[in-house]
Amino acid sequence: MHLSNETMNVGFVKKVEALSGTSVRRCFQCGKCSAGCPMSGFMEHPPNRVVRLLQLGQWERVLAGRSIWYCASCETCSTRCPNKVNLASIMDALRKLSWDADGPSKESYVQLANRLFIENIRTYGRQYELRLGAAFNMKSGQFLKDLMLGPKLLSRGKLKMFHSKNKNLPEIEAIFSRIEEMRKKGEAL
Amino acid sequence: MTPAKKHIMHYSYFPGCSLHASGREYDISTRALFKALRLGLQEVPDWFCCGATPAHNVDELLSLSLCAKNLSLAEEVEGDLAVACAACFSRLKTTQHHLKKDDVKRKQVETAIDGPAALGKPVKHILEILARDFGLKRLEESVKKPLMGLKVACYYGCLLTRPPEVPDLDDCEDPSIMEDILRALGAEPVKWSHRMECCGANFTLSRPGVVLKLSNAILESAQAAGAECIMVACPLCHGNLDIRQGGIKAKYGQPEATLMGNIFGSENQGSSDAEPRGETPIFYVTQLAALAMGVPSDKLGLESIIIDPRPLLKEKNLL
Repeated sequence: MHLSNETMNVGFVKKVEALSGTSVRRCFQCGKCSAGCPMSGFMEHPPNRVVRLLQLGQWERVLAGRSIWYCASCETCSTRCPNKVNLASIMDALRKLSWDADGPSKESYVQLANRLFIENIRTYGRQYELRLGAAFNMKSGQFLKDLMLGPKLLSRGKLKMFHSKNKNLPEIEAIFSRIEEMRKKGEAL
Repeated sequence: MTPAKKHIMHYSYFPGCSLHASGREYDISTRALFKALRLGLQEVPDWFCCGATPAHNVDELLSLSLCAKNLSLAEEVEGDLAVACAACFSRLKTTQHHLKKDDVKRKQVETAIDGPAALGKPVKHILEILARDFGLKRLEESVKKPLMGLKVACYYGCLLTRPPEVPDLDDCEDPSIMEDILRALGAEPVKWSHRMECCGANFTLSRPGVVLKLSNAILESAQAAGAECIMVACPLCHGNLDIRQGGIKAKYGQPEATLMGNIFGSENQGSSDAEPRGETPIFYVTQLAALAMGVPSDKLGLESIIIDPRPLLKEKNLL
């Protein structure tokens, strides 16, 4: 196969590189990232293959798969890469691009959890764990998940019934809105 | 101002969401420890969530902006910013690191927060404050009740040391800061293999099976090395190793998981004839340090830990 800008889909790769601030093209496939990855056993494409697929222009396979959502952001890959490819940042960039495309990915639970977590910030300012857990169970249809943990956590004061008030809520909402505005105007990715 | 000086150092404090909820004992013991060491600690008013892993996972600009705003709130309080949660620590430091070297991102963030990004305040993890600012020697001299004979596995997890260019806390593959602190407290750190492995972090909500598998490996490794307990410095690590330990035991610690265990995904409804695996209490570094400083045991939040550590401490004559 001849590698050219077209076969590589260089437009997509450049977007990933702009978002992540690192080079996809520097990777020489030593596989060290996958060797140290605690999550590679859960992925259909281990980390080094995710990068290889990007290099070969097959980004749709990456976004459609669950590998990017099973990355734990533990940063082991970025720490150990001998060629200074910041793979953890590439994973962030890929998740964002999949997220913006309204995720063709098979992995919905992790996306749901992320969405609820971010919604919590916008609504309450701080994480409101009871709401997070309850909303996740309702929306994922796993009504009994971790049900037995609830009373244990409540009795030890680890789960608050009510959320705390935060004076900066208007400011938080403004941050979200300003970012949306910048993206609408094309001033940020 | 000689002997009356109340504090030897003063810090602003960013507890983070977990420390006001599932990690409350980390907050309680941090405050108790700082008081015992005569370190001032003042919470940043109306701080909000740093975005943790979920925000940077899908929206880096949002993550950087939330952290940058929190950093500017922290400017209102005197002293370096003390952070207890490894995730908040990592996000705040990452924000400083990125925005210092990337003008484009900094300008976007400044638009988002509608003001200048304040990047000057040193962000310090509690471990750093204990080992460096306060100092190991002074820490050792302050010990009132040495933790003699307590065998502890120090668990670092991911975000205290990785990626190497950001936290500046210790070596990214072979750190020793937790062991150094523990030795100063009189306890005995064990050598073990899983100090730096991931516990599954925030998959605890979306994919708890991941957490059970990864955290089981950590618990097994610590037990095999002869550790009687594990010391952590992150509320997510603590949650996964402590709150999920019953679920881990149900899945991996017995010959076979029971039907009830499968339905509820956790807990300990094992068959009664199965040989149970030992429980490993999980402490926060601040709980052990405050205990060694002579803080009364009812001021450490020990009762909040799911795997009750008090029998072990009694056995060691530390309670």
